[in-house]
Amino acid sequence: MLKTLKKYRAPYLFILPFFILFLVFQLIPTVWTFYISLTNWRGIGDPQFCGMENYRKLMLDNMFWDALRNTVIYWLTGLVLILVFAVLIANLLNSELLKGRMLFKTITFLPNICAAIAMGLIFRMLFDENTGLINEAMQALGGKRIPWMTSTEYSKLPVIILNVWRNTPWFTMIVLSGLLNISHDYYEAATVDGAGRWKQFWYITMPSLKNILFFCSITLTVDSWKIFNESYILPGPGTSNTSLFQYMYESGFNIFNMGFASAIGVILIIILAVLSLVQMVARRKQGEI
Amino acid sequence: MKKRIWAGMLTAAIAAGILTGCGGSGSETTAAAGGDNKQAESTAAAGADKQEAGNSQEAAGGERKAFPAGTITMYGTGQPQYLLEYFNAWLERNQDIAAGITLEMVQTEGTAQSRERITMTALAGADDDLPDAVYLDPVNIMDLSQAGLLRDETEYLQPYLSEFVDGAANDATINGKIYGLPDAVRPNVLFYNQEIFDKYEVDPAMMSTFEGYIEAGRQLKEKSNGSVYLSYVSPSSKTWRYWGRRGLMPQANAKIWDDAGNVVIGEDPGTKLALTTLDTMMQEGLLLKSEIMEPALYDAINNQQVATFYIGAFWDEFLRKNCQAVSGQWRVMASPIFEEVGTTGAPVSTYFCIVNKGDNTYAELLEMMWHDFHFDVESRNAWVSKMEADNAPYANPITKTLLEDEFWKEPSEYYGGMSFREMEGKCLANGSKNLVVTPQDAQADEIISAELETYIAGNQSIEDAIANMDKNLKAKIGTAEIIQ
Repeated sequence: MLKTLKKYRAPYLFILPFFILFLVFQLIPTVWTFYISLTNWRGIGDPQFCGMENYRKLMLDNMFWDALRNTVIYWLTGLVLILVFAVLIANLLNSELLKGRMLFKTITFLPNICAAIAMGLIFRMLFDENTGLINEAMQALGGKRIPWMTSTEYSKLPVIILNVWRNTPWFTMIVLSGLLNISHDYYEAATVDGAGRWKQFWYITMPSLKNILFFCSITLTVDSWKIFNESYILPGPGTSNTSLFQYMYESGFNIFNMGFASAIGVILIIILAVLSLVQMVARRKQGEI
Repeated sequence: MKKRIWAGMLTAAIAAGILTGCGGSGSETTAAAGGDNKQAESTAAAGADKQEAGNSQEAAGGERKAFPAGTITMYGTGQPQYLLEYFNAWLERNQDIAAGITLEMVQTEGTAQSRERITMTALAGADDDLPDAVYLDPVNIMDLSQAGLLRDETEYLQPYLSEFVDGAANDATINGKIYGLPDAVRPNVLFYNQEIFDKYEVDPAMMSTFEGYIEAGRQLKEKSNGSVYLSYVSPSSKTWRYWGRRGLMPQANAKIWDDAGNVVIGEDPGTKLALTTLDTMMQEGLLLKSEIMEPALYDAINNQQVATFYIGAFWDEFLRKNCQAVSGQWRVMASPIFEEVGTTGAPVSTYFCIVNKGDNTYAELLEMMWHDFHFDVESRNAWVSKMEADNAPYANPITKTLLEDEFWKEPSEYYGGMSFREMEGKCLANGSKNLVVTPQDAQADEIISAELETYIAGNQSIEDAIANMDKNLKAKIGTAEIIQ
């Protein structure tokens, strides 16, 4: 061990800053979170050990199950819609038929650089039941006013739309980078063989994007389980829009029930670890890693 | 030449020695004249103590203690920037002790957010970043005092307690210690638009009971073909805050916890009475579903679509600021009562709390500022006149001296000549007792509000909402700490 350290002193020194930061800001807090989840602690004073009490409370807590269900919905809708839109838009931006591609690339990326909270506030105004532009437009077209934010039936829709609208550009750029790496020779050969655009897309583009899409799905999964801004700024009735991450934050920093919040954090860590593991195993079985 | 200099210096030294000697002997004589030297000292000390408890903060020597230059940070809610006008003027008048001191007022969304920020800052160990003072309500005082973040003001406040309206310090008293200086005690009242009632020939006097209140709503709805709502209901946590915790619940003598801290909301008859009253209004379509303090509701008020507001007296500032189109039309009366209970709206108290941040340099200065705000008739009245002219917020005084002043009975233009200030004072009579406050109430409020919001969204009945409140409180909190 020491020999190896001596032999590779320079490379280890280069990666040392990362490991110090990782230790201080990630590893220690994670271990601390596990410990705090076994205590009653209001943030000030000494934590009181309570065993698995916080986990027992979690299992009996409707708000936790609501938040978990909401997060799954945000994750699945985000994963499907963002990836579909990202692939479609990236293909459009990559098309030689599109004039002014640079301009469109810039415009496409704009939603991602806008502050999430500011966008959330604008969405809140847009979806307001009484004064929102969406309902005004719907009424002008002969439709009814929809209680977007005040009914549990519709309240998640604005959150999903905001999430998809804000995150699609980022993944579009990643998919676009993948598309740019696909050799034109494949398409030329396919054209010679008589393959149409759909077949080219399905048999050349999609298989070539597999690794990129896998990376995107992992990143999107992690991001979706951490969703906070969108549901926080666009709250529905009760916990109808609350995400798990938001519930953890509110339990921890609104009511300072740190032990309970840490228990939610531990559950989140476990869920993300399992999901990542499942995806990795699936990919390994397909022989793609 | 040298001799002259030496002679001059010698003369000066002798003169100085004589003067010093005279001074010393004079001092002794004064002490002797007062009798025992120690007694004189203790008398002076007692005098200084009294002064310290009072406003002047003068040292025994007669000079006022000057405070170091710097910035005093306060957290406030609503529109606290208007308070700065008073405090800045105060600093201006007291430059001998407050030279170079500036005030910073940080506006928070609510007292809960003030508590969150303070706790977070304390948790991070950044004591220097803590505010010097904060305006809080009882729930958050309970929480922060338990964490040792509020200064114990018992000793300072004791000499003044009799000067305040009854029970002014009650909600900030925990285990016999007072953690906040009383700032305002404002009743829950009933605002109503007289013109709407005149137009549809409905007598507002019938709203002295909740039965009459609902009946008035029915008549207004019927006579206006559904264009006038009795009041509003918020789809968010504000319904629990204004209709529930501060409104119907205390008036119905409802309970969340029993005396031992056990959850009783599920079987409590008061809770049932309070929430079924809200349910009746909801079911009969008497309430406009709209977020409070938002443009949509102000539009409805200005269009005479909302006839009443059953809410705290603080709502006056929002009405005046945002609904000038209906100026002169509004009136105020005591909250309706439940006949089986017989008490009117519960008062909502706020407190000016000094943050316990080690050696809080400005603690004494803040006490002085608070003192003058409540006892200096001239400066307070001048500030209130300015606030009224600007359609800005102000609360009724809570000291007997100020309340006796005729100024607080002057008619209000916005209320068609009725004196809002006088009515606010009158509405404190026969007030309901507030819900018991426990350290678990911040969490309980979240749990209860979530169920009420789901009910307002139409996803459960009020009976299911009450049952779920009970179930979730038991599952997540179990037993609350009842602190006397």
